[in-house]
Formats: sequence, structure tokens, C-alpha cells
Amino acid sequence: MRLDLSSKLALVLLLWLCAFLLDWSINLILITLLILVRYLLPGYRPQSARASKSFNKFLFYGGTIVFLFAGINALFLRGGDVVLTIATLDFHEEGLMFGIRTAVRLLLLSISILLFFASTPLRDFIRFLQQKGLPPQLVLVLLLTLHFLDQLPARIHQVFVAQEARGAPVRAGIFSRSQALFSVVSPLVLSSIIESIDRGTALEVRGFLHKPVPMPAAAHEQRSRNLLTAAVILLSVAIIIYSVLRWLLV
Amino acid sequence: MAARLEIQGLSVRYSAGATPALNEVSVGMAAGSCCAVLGPTGAGKTTLLHVLSGVLGRHHSQVVASGSITIADAKFSPLPKIIQFPLVGLALQDPSVQISGIRDTVYDEVQFTLDNLELPSHEIRQRIPPLLKRLGIDHLSHRNPTTLSGGETQRVALATILAAQPSVLLLDEPTTALDLTARVKLHRILKSLREKTTVVVTDTHVDFALGVAHQIVVLDQGRVIFDGTPREFLAALENFESVLPAASWRRVRTLIKTAKEQPGSPHQRLAGRLGIV
Amino acid sequence: MKRSIRQRIADELTGAALPFVAFCIALNLTVGQITALLKIPLYLDSIGTVLAAVLVGPWSAVICGSFANILASAFGNPSMMFFIPVVIVIGAFTGYLARRGWFKRWYLVAIGGVLQGVLAAIVSAPISAYLFSGVMLSGTDFLVLYFRAMGNSLLDSVFYQGLTSDPADKLITYLLVFFLVRGLPKRLLGQLRGASNIQQGQAAA
Repeated sequence: MRLDLSSKLALVLLLWLCAFLLDWSINLILITLLILVRYLLPGYRPQSARASKSFNKFLFYGGTIVFLFAGINALFLRGGDVVLTIATLDFHEEGLMFGIRTAVRLLLLSISILLFFASTPLRDFIRFLQQKGLPPQLVLVLLLTLHFLDQLPARIHQVFVAQEARGAPVRAGIFSRSQALFSVVSPLVLSSIIESIDRGTALEVRGFLHKPVPMPAAAHEQRSRNLLTAAVILLSVAIIIYSVLRWLLV
Repeated sequence: MAARLEIQGLSVRYSAGATPALNEVSVGMAAGSCCAVLGPTGAGKTTLLHVLSGVLGRHHSQVVASGSITIADAKFSPLPKIIQFPLVGLALQDPSVQISGIRDTVYDEVQFTLDNLELPSHEIRQRIPPLLKRLGIDHLSHRNPTTLSGGETQRVALATILAAQPSVLLLDEPTTALDLTARVKLHRILKSLREKTTVVVTDTHVDFALGVAHQIVVLDQGRVIFDGTPREFLAALENFESVLPAASWRRVRTLIKTAKEQPGSPHQRLAGRLGIV
Repeated sequence: MKRSIRQRIADELTGAALPFVAFCIALNLTVGQITALLKIPLYLDSIGTVLAAVLVGPWSAVICGSFANILASAFGNPSMMFFIPVVIVIGAFTGYLARRGWFKRWYLVAIGGVLQGVLAAIVSAPISAYLFSGVMLSGTDFLVLYFRAMGNSLLDSVFYQGLTSDPADKLITYLLVFFLVRGLPKRLLGQLRGASNIQQGQAAA
């Protein structure tokens, strides 16, 4: 099943609603489904090995930290019964439940966003935003940012090596290193301003912003809101109504 | 269609009280001709191109200027305040910044210019392939424009401007980073533009300028110190020794020497056309 | 005549400003590489936003901060998405200070940096507390926990944690930007509309 970006974004918003409105146990099931969904739905397959690695890394480290956090809460927030005692350490129910609820919510929020970006090439996302009315200047800012992001790490390394060769105290004490920070950032900013002036001129002399810039449309993009998006929105409304009713009745 | 260019009594200071970047410049260029503007660093060559393209008027609000400029039928007094694209196309000194970095292929990069002009897609399809072929970069059509060699980048940058079919093409030091082969290719491209586009090229390579231009203008400290044909320029060559780079002189001397020593060579043909052998 | 937000953004993002703001976003996202290389325990992740606010204007700074957070989410730090209100405040407040001429003198910059830090802590506290219960998956989580164990409410704990790091970080960011832009050639700065924000004796934009 192919998913367009509108549906995927609607699903992210639905998951945010779930994270705040539904019980942690339901959210835990949703997290499990989300982890599986990238293997089951082609639209959610990671778009690159790097994206897949980043997603797995987050699951490993993020998962470990949030559940560690749940345990520490159970130690420090002393409310309710003691549910577990290890040596002299008492783990309390209130802290544990607070920790679990927080951990599950945080994981669901994070995974919903990560899954979207891991399975969506950024250039497609930017094209989608443009189709939805993002002004051409902002589209260009985003695309140029990707260009700078490609170049900056190498440039930072170059400047760092050059400053070290010139005797900048890049490996001295903390105070000297802080001073070296200036000598690394300064050439970067200066060269970026020079490049920006040239690039700005180059864009203008190619007619940019004389008129709006149409971008080539992505072949698989669907313009209209499809049935799936509508279904996700309906489900979101249902969850809100359910939560309000539950709040009123309890 | 090529356009006539007329600059009359143009003076430009970047701010009130600053030294003039251009001082009483008066030059006329016939439609479809090629004019090479020579001079040392800081002579005002780039400023002149930025004035003609509208870049200076648009971005330097503190500029103080007088005189007038006529491009085709449009008269600006003292200088254009908006970018004159696509009437005037400007190729910047560093071709890599002319590549936007936001399109994935050379074809799309050239298309970006035409998208800006909101040309219909059938016209875009008609324009780009022959242009890429003419510039000898059709084989690069699907390559990423940020991964090309210096000479290839130069020609792609030129394609991004020529795609709009400007009446006046301004080239700022186009040969600075080019090797001999790339310079020869650029030379051919500029020759192919004759009659179709008015070309103004600033350059420090005197031999290159002599090979492409109908008219040579020498600027020094913002003033025009010579305006004439390449033949006239060569006749008065010794007058400009102090204002042009030593490397350029070496090249002109090599050109004359090779032309004398190697009958039938391209150097001799050029030298013969220029009347220096 | 009142101009729309779209027009104001379009007015700011012309010429060199457009690629420069893109650079500032990229700088926000990669400055961590510099601090890691130099082993300096600072975030400085709003340095691009502050640069954009001072050299271009408040709308550009707001865009810079917002886009940087969206991209940071895409690159593996998803919680950044929810802190967009904080970077909007940082961009707008810094842009306002710059326009009022606060970036012409170092002591005003220092005061502005501390104020900005407190403001950032105030805006981020409710987001951090109510959306994430104070958990940001970083070392500062333990500080929040410490304040809570001392008997403070969740919101207070998150706010106190913010106060321990934000003012110092923003003060250093502000001062770094101040000295950076002072060292830039005037002719280059003249091509960015915020130049009058930093040059002595000139009316702010």
C-alpha cells in the first residue's frame, strides 16, 4: 500500500493525540505496531541505510534511557506501595507508573516523528510543503540548508585543521579552547557571508523571485486529500470525543 | 535578439565621499558584438558588470551615481534599480555559486532558470537539449551539477544564463579557473554567440580577450583609458604595460612568438587577423 | 499600510539574506560538531538563530530557528519539533533587541543574553513539563529529578533546571555573535539588511 505525505502527516498527528489522550498500555501497543510497520508497509520503509540506522539507534538508546528513567522515578518519587526491593533500594508504585506513562508517551511521540522522516526523503517533504503553499523563498531556504549541511562538516574540519596548524589552542585548557572556538567559527561565518552574497546575486540574476517558482512535481504525489487521510482525521476526532466523554463520566 | 549598449558619463561611488569605482565612463557597444573589458584588480570591471545587470542598483542603497545607460530601447538614468534579467544575463566570476545547489541534475539546474521565467513545459523541453549540446555538456545532463570539474561547471553556469536567451551576456572573469582546453571550448562558445547576443567579458587573460572580442576597453581606477579594436589595442600595447598583469603580457608575447615560428598554426591565424605578424 | 507576515518575510528574505539564513540553519545543526571537536561543554545551538536575528531580522531568525528544529527532528532528535515555540521566542526577542540597538554595546549584549536565557527557560518549562514530564533524554533529566526529589513541583523543577543552563548558554552565544559580527568587514555587512543593527552611530533598521 502506498501512502502519500498528507496521510503520513495526518497519522503523525493522530499518534500525538493518542500519546496524550490514551492509556499507556494502548500506547505501548501502538509503539510495537509502529516498530513493525516499517517492515510491513512499503510507504514506511526507511528511505536510506542512514535513516534506518538513525531510527534503530534512537530505539536502542532512547528506549534504554526512558525505561531507566522510569526506574529512577520509582526510586525517588516515594508514593504508593513498594513494588520491588533490590538490596536496600525500594521502588515505589507512584514513581514507577509516572515513569512508565512518561516513557511510553515520549517514545510514541518520538517514534511517530522519526518514522515519518526516516521513510520520507527530505526533498520530497519540501516539495510537499511547496505544493501546500509554502512560499518559494522558504522552499529555497530549506533546499539551500540541505546544500550547506552537505558542505559544512567538511568545511568545519578544514577550518579546525587550519587553525590548529596556525597554533590556535584547540587542545589546550578549557579557557584556551573556548577562545579557539572564536577562531573556528569566525572564518566559517565570514566565508558564508561572502558565499551568501554571491549566491543571492546568482539567484537573482537567474530570475528567482521575479515570479513564483514552480518545482517539478514528484511523480507519486497525489494532490487531493485521499480517503486514507480522511479516515485518519475521522479517527482523530473519535479519539478526542472518547477522551472528553471519559473525562466527563469518570 | 542582441541589444545595443550605450553607457554615457557613468560615475559610481559606493557611498558619498568614497573613491569613484567608475569615473565618467562612456562606452558604446554594437548589438551582437563582443567587448572585452581589461584592467588591473580594482579597476572597476566587476562594478561595471554589476551596474549593467542591475545588481548594484538593487543591493547598494548608498550608491551615488550619475550618467546614463541605454540597453536596447530602455534608458536608465543613472543606473538600473532592478535586476535586468532576462534582458541582461550575468555569469559570476565563481561559476560554482551560480549552481543553485537545489536541483539534482544538470538538466534540472538549467530548468530552474526557465521555471523562474514561468515558461511553459513544452518550451523548456525545446530549449534545454539543443543548448546543452551546443555547449558540449549534453552528456552531463543527468549528472549532479555540484560534482563537475571546473570547466564543466563553467559551461553549466553559462547554460543556466543562456537558457533565458538574454540580449546582453555579461561574463565576469570567465577564464580565471580554466585550463587551456576549457578556455578553448569557452572561446568557441563565445564565437558561436556572435550576432545573436551582445557579449561583455571582463578578463585578465589578454590573449583570450584578443581572440574573442571585436572591441577592447581598458579601465584603470574607474576610468576608460582605451576604447578601440583589438588591432588598435595591440598597436598601443606598450601604453598599458603598467595596468595589466605581467602574466597577460607573457601570454601575448608567446602568442606573437609562436605565430612567427609556427606558420599555419591557430596562433598565426589569430595573429594575422589582429595584424601583429 | 499594514503588511502581512508573508510580506514581511518576503521583504527580509531577499538577495544575500536568503542563502545566509540557510547557512544559519545549517550552523545551528552543526555547531555541535565544533563544540565536540574543541571539547567545550556548551550547546550554542541557537548561534545561527541569533546571527540571523542580528544580521537579517526577526522574521528570518524565527524561520531559522523553526526550520532548524524541524530538521533536527528529521535527523534523529524528534523532541525538537515540540520546542519550536521556544526558538520562535528566541528569534523574535533577539531580533527585537537588535533593532533596538542592543547589539552595539557589549554590556547590553551580555544583559540581553541573560534575559534571553531566562525567557527561554520560562517558555520551555511548560512544554518540557506537560508534554514530556521533564524527560528530554539527556543528562539534564537527572537534574529535574533531583529538584523533584527536593520536593518541588514538576513545572518548578523543569524551570529551575532551565535556569541552571539556559542563561549561561545564551550569554555565551550572544557575546560570541557580538564579537563575530564586529570583526566582519563593513562592505560585506552592508549587503545584509541588519548591518545598521551593529554599527555604531547608525539608526537601527
